[in-house]
Amino acid sequence: MNTKKKDITLCTIFLILFAGGFLLCLFSPKERYSDSERRMLSPMPKWSAQGLWSGRFMAEFESYAQDAFPYRDSFREIKALTALKVFSRQDNNGIYVSDEFLSALEYPMDEDSLGRAIERFRYVCEKYLTEENKVYLSVISDKNRFLAKGSGHPSMNYEEFEKQMAEKADFAEYISISDLLERDDYYKTDTHWRQERITDVAERLALAMGTTLSQDYEIHTLESDFYGVYYGQAALPLEPEKIQYVTGADIDCCIVYDWQNERKIPVYDMEKAVGRDPYEMFLSGSLSLLTIKNPNARTDRKLVLFRDSFGSSIAPLLISGYAQITLVDIRYIHPDHLEQFLDFDNCDVLFLYSTLVLNHSDTIK
Amino acid sequence: MLFSSISFLYYFLPLTLAFYFVVPRAFKNTILLLASLLFYGWGEPKYLMLMGLSTLLGYGFGLLVEKYREKKAGKVFCVFSVGISLSFLVCFKYADFFIQNVNAITGLQLSFLRLTLPIGISFYTFQIISYTVDVYKGERAQKNLIHLATYIAMFPQLIAGPIVRYSDIAGQLTHREYSWHGIAWGIRRFVIGLAKKILLANQLGELCSIFRASQDSSVLFCWLYAIAFTLHIYFDFSGYSDMAIGLGSVLGFRFQENFNYPYISASITEFWRRWHISLGAFFRDYVYIPLGGNRKGRGRQLFHILVVWMLTGLWHGAAWNFILWGAFFAVLLTVEKLWLLRKLEKSRLLSRIYTLFFVMLSFVIFNGENLGQAFSDMAGLFGGGGIPLVSQEALYCLLSFKIVLLVGIIGATPAACNWVRKISKSPTGGKVLNLLEPVVLTVLMLVMTAYLVDGSFNPFLYFRF
Repeated sequence: MNTKKKDITLCTIFLILFAGGFLLCLFSPKERYSDSERRMLSPMPKWSAQGLWSGRFMAEFESYAQDAFPYRDSFREIKALTALKVFSRQDNNGIYVSDEFLSALEYPMDEDSLGRAIERFRYVCEKYLTEENKVYLSVISDKNRFLAKGSGHPSMNYEEFEKQMAEKADFAEYISISDLLERDDYYKTDTHWRQERITDVAERLALAMGTTLSQDYEIHTLESDFYGVYYGQAALPLEPEKIQYVTGADIDCCIVYDWQNERKIPVYDMEKAVGRDPYEMFLSGSLSLLTIKNPNARTDRKLVLFRDSFGSSIAPLLISGYAQITLVDIRYIHPDHLEQFLDFDNCDVLFLYSTLVLNHSDTIK
Repeated sequence: MLFSSISFLYYFLPLTLAFYFVVPRAFKNTILLLASLLFYGWGEPKYLMLMGLSTLLGYGFGLLVEKYREKKAGKVFCVFSVGISLSFLVCFKYADFFIQNVNAITGLQLSFLRLTLPIGISFYTFQIISYTVDVYKGERAQKNLIHLATYIAMFPQLIAGPIVRYSDIAGQLTHREYSWHGIAWGIRRFVIGLAKKILLANQLGELCSIFRASQDSSVLFCWLYAIAFTLHIYFDFSGYSDMAIGLGSVLGFRFQENFNYPYISASITEFWRRWHISLGAFFRDYVYIPLGGNRKGRGRQLFHILVVWMLTGLWHGAAWNFILWGAFFAVLLTVEKLWLLRKLEKSRLLSRIYTLFFVMLSFVIFNGENLGQAFSDMAGLFGGGGIPLVSQEALYCLLSFKIVLLVGIIGATPAACNWVRKISKSPTGGKVLNLLEPVVLTVLMLVMTAYLVDGSFNPFLYFRF
């Protein structure tokens, strides 16, 4: 090809690229929600003189132009592959891959955040609990603990993390579960642990709190594919997973009440299992206050479980050891409001939180 | 509006180019001006009026200066025009800095103006000054307001240069040629500039941000940061200049080069002949030479150098670290002029290491939020503050950014360009390159679009100047 032909070819290609891009941007159908990123996409901003004068319209249009770009997910995949394969970046948007497991960089440990979390827990104890209540604390390591070192990614000192939590929480007995967890106990594309693999964790917790659990478990697998929260953020071409869940005599007959929406809900919400975040099938996801009653209970013991989203999948495993478990997520309900709903008399209290929440405890009210 | 944004690439640019090439020649400047006003107003709608007023004043004073050029009034009008242009710049850019220092020295509590810095004010103010002074020196004043406004507001170089001097472009405002070659060359230049910005500068900027946010400092991390920022500012700014020059070529203009591989320089003197060439030339022609340059003895010359470099520093920002940065170069240039330059000629390798080392130190000063942080960063390079040699995060960053750093280091030299030039000289190599070029540029464009869609875009560093 001679230089003149090359020049004409180049001009033609870029004419097609820009004109085509412009027309596609204008006329391609626009999505309102990104399934892969699990977020609402920015809509086309409305014109107004004030919006134009303040520059707000332009700022919103920039977001819209990015979000409404045709074949957005494909372009995000191209970017992720370029970053990881061409530039050998060790993470893309803070998400890294290690042996097909995705994880977000969680580093460094924020001691102030740990301190704040402890203070919030202490506040709950001082406000509601008496010496009659037994209080426990356990920390769920995020999967960086099992992935990062092997793949050369920076990670927190998890031993130090647990040590600090145990020392600062002088109002609670610390139950360590870290030795029971390993990489495969977590979903490859999600933050959470796999319910069917944490029965031993549930038993450890129950034993430490002085109760025993039924061993009568049956494992089921959802037919639908599961793409975890990291899948969308990483934008990499990875295989979907299957969610598994555990049933048993006690779990099957449980009655779950959602105080937030004042309704009964199932332990496993099969509508959510095929929804935007299938992990929300466990006790219907992020709800502030739930009570699980076990009509078949062999005990009258009650547990109040202060928890994050990891708690949704372990609570059904604990129910055989209790007559009632109340799940409280103080990220969504202020502790001051609990007295309207909760009676702590004769209750054990367990603070069960993941390192992901404890290291960013500003979400705890 | 940013060049490296979806709204520019896939909305503004196609529409602007379509209108620009469809309308007859007589209306091209009007289209260009309207597009430029939209481009500027997109980011700074409130400051369109300020730029409009500056342009009108420049236009009026240009006519007056030309009319009274041979009389004393011509000089008065010229000085008045420059003074007004500079007063806008001082008011919006430096007022709070002066107030802060007056308060600190006198103990007064003068209120800050808290004006937002209008984007590109440093660049278009200098272009207006260049116009008025050039007219005073004998250039014909522009009678057509649209032509002059097009020169001042032209979107390719409006907000981050290069500083286009009126005398260089006056003819092109009315007569310019369009060719496949010019447009193709412009596209290539634009895409390369965009790649410098999106693929290199943004990633290097990410490394600098990680360093700044980290609590895991170490000597290695400080060096990584210093190297990354040195490369970042080069690819960010030279990338913008490439895009401006490329877009200019597509629109039929020929802009002056602004960078010429500054990091291969063998002295600071040479560095400033290769770095931000249009700014250096501006200060040389409009400040250094009018002050007397080297015509009034060595002592005065050194004083002029100090003045020029303090002003160069101040031009970059209203903070003491920028002034220190300028003074740092004044000292280095003085030392070179007095005795070092001859010694540097003895070893090209050592002189390059010397230049890179001091340039890198200068950028550590430059990028400090304040003097304290600049000194702390600099001390960190040599283990100051008791920091360890290496840290976990530094090692991770080294691992994660190794290719970006490597590409950046190679890309900052003319090695790749020389290699392509060498291949293109052979008949077969030339044909292969002609075949590959459109493919490579298209792939680059798609990859960069992917980066933009994924949301990794940063404002250009030089917007704040």
